[in-house]
Amino acid sequence: MDTIHACFKEKIGEVLLPGDVFSFRLPESGDGSIKSEKIICGPGLRRNGEEVRVCKSGILRHKQPNMYWIDSQQRRYVPAKGESVIGIVTTKSGDVFKVDVGGSEQASLSYLAFEGATKRNRPNVQVGDLVYGQFTIANKDMEPELVCIDSCGRANGMGVFGADGLLFKVSLGLVRRLLAPQSEIIKDLEKIFPFELVVGMNGRVWVKAKTVQQTLIVTNLLETSENMTSQQRQTLFKRVAEGSL
Amino acid sequence: MTRMSATRGLCMRTMMELDQSCSVLREYGSEQSLLSKPDGSSTFVQGDTSILAGVYGPAEVKVSKEIYDRATVEVLIQPKMGLPGVRERAREQCVRETCEAALLLTLHPRSSVTVVLQVIHDDGSLLSCCLNAACMALMDAGLPMSHLFCGVTCAISKEGQIIIDPTARQEKECRALLTFAIDSAECNVLISSTTGSFSVQELQQCIAISQKASEQIFQFYRDSVKRRYSKIQ
Amino acid sequence: MGVVLNYGINSYISIVVLYFQSHRNTYADVVITKHIITAGKEQAAPQSAGWETALAPLTGAEDARVTSLRHCSLHAALPNIMAAGFKTAEPLEYHRSFLKENCRPDGRELGEFRPTTLNISSISTADGSALVKIGNTTVICGIKAELTMPPSDAPNKGYIVPNVDLPPLCSSRFRPGPPGEQAQSASQFIADVIESSDLINLEELCIEKSKLCWVLYCDIMCLDYDGNLLDACIIALLAALRNAQLPEATINKETDLAEVDIQKKRHLKINRHPVGSSFAVFDDSIIIVDPTAEEESLSTALLTVVTDEEDRLCAVHKPGGTSLSGEKLQHCINRAITRNKEISKLVDKVFESMKTAK
Repeated sequence: MDTIHACFKEKIGEVLLPGDVFSFRLPESGDGSIKSEKIICGPGLRRNGEEVRVCKSGILRHKQPNMYWIDSQQRRYVPAKGESVIGIVTTKSGDVFKVDVGGSEQASLSYLAFEGATKRNRPNVQVGDLVYGQFTIANKDMEPELVCIDSCGRANGMGVFGADGLLFKVSLGLVRRLLAPQSEIIKDLEKIFPFELVVGMNGRVWVKAKTVQQTLIVTNLLETSENMTSQQRQTLFKRVAEGSL
Repeated sequence: MTRMSATRGLCMRTMMELDQSCSVLREYGSEQSLLSKPDGSSTFVQGDTSILAGVYGPAEVKVSKEIYDRATVEVLIQPKMGLPGVRERAREQCVRETCEAALLLTLHPRSSVTVVLQVIHDDGSLLSCCLNAACMALMDAGLPMSHLFCGVTCAISKEGQIIIDPTARQEKECRALLTFAIDSAECNVLISSTTGSFSVQELQQCIAISQKASEQIFQFYRDSVKRRYSKIQ
Repeated sequence: MGVVLNYGINSYISIVVLYFQSHRNTYADVVITKHIITAGKEQAAPQSAGWETALAPLTGAEDARVTSLRHCSLHAALPNIMAAGFKTAEPLEYHRSFLKENCRPDGRELGEFRPTTLNISSISTADGSALVKIGNTTVICGIKAELTMPPSDAPNKGYIVPNVDLPPLCSSRFRPGPPGEQAQSASQFIADVIESSDLINLEELCIEKSKLCWVLYCDIMCLDYDGNLLDACIIALLAALRNAQLPEATINKETDLAEVDIQKKRHLKINRHPVGSSFAVFDDSIIIVDPTAEEESLSTALLTVVTDEEDRLCAVHKPGGTSLSGEKLQHCINRAITRNKEISKLVDKVFESMKTAK
């Protein structure tokens, strides 16, 4: 329990650079028994034989009981299986839509992957529409595939959306903070005025409020809250709330 | 833009008693994430030499250039005036091969990583400044790397004195100019690009001095990145 | 030879190694059959067992020996086909298996250069020319001298302008069109070597200060690319410059025009003789000398060291790749110094023979 976790524990919350190495020397236990420890290395950490190497710069984070990862700031999205993203339909070719998700390749979306879609009953998707979908296949060797239904065949919030509203891009770190279970930013924003929000893990956010002005205010607040501490953000939101009422 | 000055007064004695040289790096500074369009950007300043770097990747790649099992790295160096020429091509090859060795390219097959370097001002040690700016920009873009690298230039003057991080005037007057890229994992030489003639002992001395100087530069990278992440906390 | 026949895929490699090494001895069939004939002996038993089970698993031991003798002529060709298949499918493993035995697919040692040949004065329309072959890599250099005004910042010096051209003729990897990155960086490298090594005194090329000077256009063209381009370019350039003859040129005081006397020709004075040696690094640890084109593409780093006859380094060019430790670098430099002596002898011999031929 001790050696590996101890190596990591002293660096939790510290900024690490690529090339930093955690090497483990197993202690020689007198009775000859070897305790096996299991740790889960998340994004930014790679196993290299007997050692774990840091491959992205960022802060080392820890989640009980044994998960460690590097929290790095990035703008470019790399598709991963199971993530929900906002995509823009670019072409319709036969039975498949090509969707731009911001990665190195366009994802494919079959027309049957919508709720209630059959060969006769095609979904109403045009080039330029916004779709919210999940990745079923997303690895480095194959073209990524999106679907707009869950495993039971229901839409569950996915599909085409976005008549009116504004789509803009933020960094991946901010998106993760928005999607966290008890997100402070969302809570503070709710107090200002009501609005609709769709957040894609590829850094794309769609906002719609009652008037165009309110939509733009929310957009600007989200874009600026990226580089602010929570204090600064709360003062800013308070000022805006007073100004708009 | 926050500047961080190099620790002055760090005088390094060389191995041989014959050449008493005092090698000090010029004041250097850097900033990350200053451009909004590229995925990663940085600027690196060494004395008066200043380079701006932008990184795009992993992005789409043309079918003619794609490699089936790794990412394609492209480097473009734009000089301050005029169009890129043969000299820039040679520098681009050096920077490109270093980036290919440091990045984990097999994680992004059939994609491209483009590094664009713009020379803002050239006052000597241009290739090493390009390497440093490229490394910081790649870190900023969050591309997976196996180790970091930095560039150090040494000049051997006509009297045999070794000057580290020379200015443009010192470069003109020197007998030989050597540029090395050092990696962070084992402090070994990744790139060597030399002009002028020199002896084997002088080469070994320059390598030793560059390795010492690289430790300073890596410490600077660490402090720079720490400063950037401290705002987020 | 000392290669043990192991089971599995390695057995094919061992056979291939035997085949190539035995080719050098030109006793190919005898060597392979020797192992079959000695199948009955004690010490050859494990080898023969592997041979038999690989080829004739069903028949008994006695018959296997007979059938293996009959099959030996057929199976002498079989390793060749298997080796070619293995080489295409897993080129890196193919090379690694040779490097483990401290040799290379074409039979050379790790530190051995390919045979180098030199031919001078091959182009009659050029002022100086040389053709160099290192193994299959063929490079030709032609020198043309023209008259021009000296540069304004150095009015008492002439110019040397090298240009390396890699046409689509030499390899399928080069496409027609403007020079690619490899050609441009090779041109820059040659220009740096000329400047670093002080090959020619540029003041000698100046005829009249600020008025007239020679400019030497050195066109280096690769005819066949099989690795190790930079070494061949340097040798070709050096030999062509030694071979070049410039006519006398003066300025007519009355007309202020240049007058060239083609009858009187003189050679250029070469101060230093730089010679390059290229190395390739495999898997971060094994260093081989004079890589072929396949070895270059599989290597993890390339290094070129240029030395002159006083053992001073003119260039240490390592354009990237994995890192190299200090001792390995020293080892390469020592090898480069020995290579310098070999090539100097070769060039001197060629020029001597030209003089005696005249």
